[in-house]
Amino acid sequence: MALTRALAFDGVAFSYGDVAALSDVSFEIAAGERVALLGRNGAGKSTVVRLVTGLGHPDEGTVWVGDWDTADRAPEELAWRVGSVFQHADQQLFARTLREDVSFGPRALGLSPREVRRRTEEALDALDLHPHAAQHPYDLSPALRKLAALAGALALEPALLVLDEPTAGLDRAWRARVADAVREHAGRGAALLVVTQDLAFAAETLERGIVLDRGRLACDEPLDRLLTSAERLKPLGLAPPPVAALSVALDLPGRPVRERDAAHTLARVAGGRSAS
Amino acid sequence: MRILGLDDVTFWYPATANPALENVSLDVGPGEIVALVGRGGAGASTLLLIAAGLAPRVTGGRLAGSVNRKARAGIVLPTPWTQVSGMAFTVWDEVAFGPANLGWPEHAITHHVDRALERLEITPLASRDPATLSGGELQRVIIAGILAMDPDLVVLDEPTAELDSEGARAVWRLVRSLAAEGKGVLLATSDVDALPDVADRVVWLEQGRVRALGEPSLLAEDAMCEAGLGTTVAGLWRAAGLGAPYPLTVVDAVQRWR
Repeated sequence: MALTRALAFDGVAFSYGDVAALSDVSFEIAAGERVALLGRNGAGKSTVVRLVTGLGHPDEGTVWVGDWDTADRAPEELAWRVGSVFQHADQQLFARTLREDVSFGPRALGLSPREVRRRTEEALDALDLHPHAAQHPYDLSPALRKLAALAGALALEPALLVLDEPTAGLDRAWRARVADAVREHAGRGAALLVVTQDLAFAAETLERGIVLDRGRLACDEPLDRLLTSAERLKPLGLAPPPVAALSVALDLPGRPVRERDAAHTLARVAGGRSAS
Repeated sequence: MRILGLDDVTFWYPATANPALENVSLDVGPGEIVALVGRGGAGASTLLLIAAGLAPRVTGGRLAGSVNRKARAGIVLPTPWTQVSGMAFTVWDEVAFGPANLGWPEHAITHHVDRALERLEITPLASRDPATLSGGELQRVIIAGILAMDPDLVVLDEPTAELDSEGARAVWRLVRSLAAEGKGVLLATSDVDALPDVADRVVWLEQGRVRALGEPSLLAEDAMCEAGLGTTVAGLWRAAGLGAPYPLTVVDAVQRWR
């Protein structure tokens, strides 16, 4: 188990002064798993990201990244295993060109120039950022700056990729690009933990949903089941995304939550109807 | 009567050869909700900066054509965390920052701040330090700060990007109620699925130009679906090969399916 465990929260509590953010939170994520961290604004999701990246330490309990206790590791050491994109990702950028920014992480890890170059180009490639590689990060739109930060995280080739609202403000084509890039990263054995309010993106990209409610773990189950249950989602401040809502409303067999599956099922059922 | 009128506007950012917007004409009337949709980089954010009077005045650059604004405008940027004053230790004071700088009397400030907090459903946050808020909470505080200045034209760039479903629904309800009071609302959003119930008009921007303009039913048209800008339900119908006209919303789809 210890070999495949990418992340574990064990009885974690954390507060900002007297504002409790997390209480008694426990869960585990295995290598290759794609997990959505969901919940209302202020439920504690971004606090989880801070603890995973070592920017804070739990008041109680332990956060494990693989077999490392984050309490014993500095954030720059954790960067060997954790790549992250924060909610306000433009605050993560500082270099003069996008390419330089993406290569900062691998250079800081002390990798060879050749390896730095390979990772930088692959990350730019994964998100189709080559046309913007020579631009200053602050000349880019907020959406592109977000993608730039994501490319920087991918270039670390982390065993655990943690993303906080990676699709906020992105159009559908960019969201699909992000989905492909992170799915591919997970396909190479990395674990994904994605904080998101974009349940359509979660449905397309991720497989398991952990929901926080006022700092406590409220639910942990397969996303396709969770997203098609309006009654379960409502008390958690969430609503089914359009594909899941349509699946339920039309009573589509198998209740698909991904667009491709739903389109396929819709075509099949409609075909069957016109034949009968 | 119009609150905002853009006539044949072309805009260049500083030191760029290609315009970010080209020959754009657009009106917003009182009580009207106009939504801009497009791929990233299509010019929606630029158009909003012009509408709010920030471009070229603050951004620099050059504008051709004419902009008529017969009202005070307030804008919520797509990066609301950059709009925090940094001068306030409570959410109440943060929301009061704008009105106080307009030189209003104290009772007017109090009235508008309390009302804005109520409308964003964040009254319980009033005494919190803005620095301790989550991203979505902060987004609502910034919107409240703009509303507290009582603008006649409300300009919103991705106002629900970081909000949970409840918060997003509350913002869309708020947009409708602002329009019902006679304010004009000009917004850009990638949440096109919300627009059929919110927008009076939809403007499709493509590479800085207005490609189409019309009612929200535009979002179920083939060309918009092909560009990935139609509603999810319309896109699904099209992907399933079920023939136009496509349903716009889940409700439309259910009617069609029966």
